[in-house]
Amino acid sequence: MSGRNDQLMDELFRKEYGKLVATLTRLFGIAHMQLAEDMVQDALITAMDKWSVEGIPDNPSAWLIQVSKRKVLNELKRNKMILEHHQNLSFANDEIAQIDSVFMEEEIEDSQLRMIFTCCHPALNAESQIALTLKTLCGFGVQEVANAFLSSKATINKRLYRAKKILRETNAPFSIPSGAELLPRLQTVTTTLYLLFNEGYNSSSGDSVIQKAFCLEAIRLTKYLENKFTDVPEIKALLGLMCLHTSRFDARIDDAGGIVIFEEQDRSLWSKDLIQKGMQYLKASMNEKRLTPYHIEASIAAQHSIAESFEKTNWKAIYENYQLLNSLKPNPIIQLNLAIIQSRLEGMEESLKMLYTIETNNSLVNYHLLPASQGIFLLKLNKPKEAKSYLEKALQMNPSEKEKEYLKAQLEKC
Amino acid sequence: MREYLLILKGDGMKDMSPNDLQSMFAQYQEWVTDLGAQYLGGQRLEENGAYLVSKEGAVATDGPFLESKEIIAGYFLVQAEDLDDAIAITKTVPHLGPYGIEVRPLVWPKM
Repeated sequence: MSGRNDQLMDELFRKEYGKLVATLTRLFGIAHMQLAEDMVQDALITAMDKWSVEGIPDNPSAWLIQVSKRKVLNELKRNKMILEHHQNLSFANDEIAQIDSVFMEEEIEDSQLRMIFTCCHPALNAESQIALTLKTLCGFGVQEVANAFLSSKATINKRLYRAKKILRETNAPFSIPSGAELLPRLQTVTTTLYLLFNEGYNSSSGDSVIQKAFCLEAIRLTKYLENKFTDVPEIKALLGLMCLHTSRFDARIDDAGGIVIFEEQDRSLWSKDLIQKGMQYLKASMNEKRLTPYHIEASIAAQHSIAESFEKTNWKAIYENYQLLNSLKPNPIIQLNLAIIQSRLEGMEESLKMLYTIETNNSLVNYHLLPASQGIFLLKLNKPKEAKSYLEKALQMNPSEKEKEYLKAQLEKC
Repeated sequence: MREYLLILKGDGMKDMSPNDLQSMFAQYQEWVTDLGAQYLGGQRLEENGAYLVSKEGAVATDGPFLESKEIIAGYFLVQAEDLDDAIAITKTVPHLGPYGIEVRPLVWPKM
């Protein structure tokens, strides 16, 4: 123990929480996930208690593992009946050696993979999967999860409680699926990680620090999948897509915390490191004939990343990719994107026509970006009166705080 | 100078998020450093123990015995000029809020 007064690594507690909960759940079984969470919480409280007075240990993570192990042993002594529920390990003789082995680094990663499949169990709905992933794997608090979902702490608590109950009742093993079961389960997992990523990237909650943390967590977990399942191209495509989008994260927000629209972003702020990684994953994902929506979305993001400027972007290639995407999974949001890109190809009048078609189809009711786009284009075409009504309509549709500020700034130009 | 026992009550940290715990850690560390020699010690208490009311009576074990806000979670021992000073110090305890804190002077002052 040193008396150093160093700062702890950013979000160390949160990151360790997820690793330790996964490890302890592996020891105690899914039925005792809550016990695992309570014990890890207690380990963190012990840490904050001791370190505040005695200083931060040289290796905080190892210290937390040590304390968690001791808690596991005490719990096993205290409550032998837990062993009966035990599914993956038997503690008969070499109890301590067995416990030691699951705390090895690669085993901690393996436990987290098992936890990913558990949180994304098909018996749970998508909302529960994401909430459970954020809470148990990423270590976010209930309040933080509630903020992301624009929901209340009580609602999220209920959702988590129900999810754990369902998992208990399915009596699922804490394991990574194999054989014929693997591919469909992987699909659920990638969908959930994709949604988790979007929750961070597009969420309407105001806190950009938390939002970025969501994105980075989605990347971290997808990387675990990629390490384990090296020959599944859509995992690579998804990872590429996440890296390419995240590369622009810092350029999206100005110094005052306001939103910077894509067109006006300072491209020098895009993370070259993440772009490079994203391109590598995308390239690696292309060595098979199968094309998934992740491939196409990553390709679109890549087109933006390699463009010198907004004007010099290969809009035609992007338009074609969106058309391809729309044929794979037809969706009004993709049609909205197609309409917006049309402004770069055929001009804003053509865009407005397409937007008007979406509006009259009623396929995107209550989606604020539709009237917002219409308003912005009309304003650029010097039709402030018509623009005003669309911008006002968008403001009524619950945009995020940052979007609200942007829309109000546009309204002032009308 | 007298010694004061600050008794922390409640279970306030149980549902704090890891991020919140970590920021509390930073405040706690700062608090101990700022107090300097006036900070004499402190401990967190296990929730489980025993409760006795007479020599003959049954021993109640495996608490918690009280409502969660009444549970003694831990204590600090600090030095202060007088009760007002001790209260002023207590107001700076980072745990205040998640926990209620009872401030009690020790009967025998040192020196």
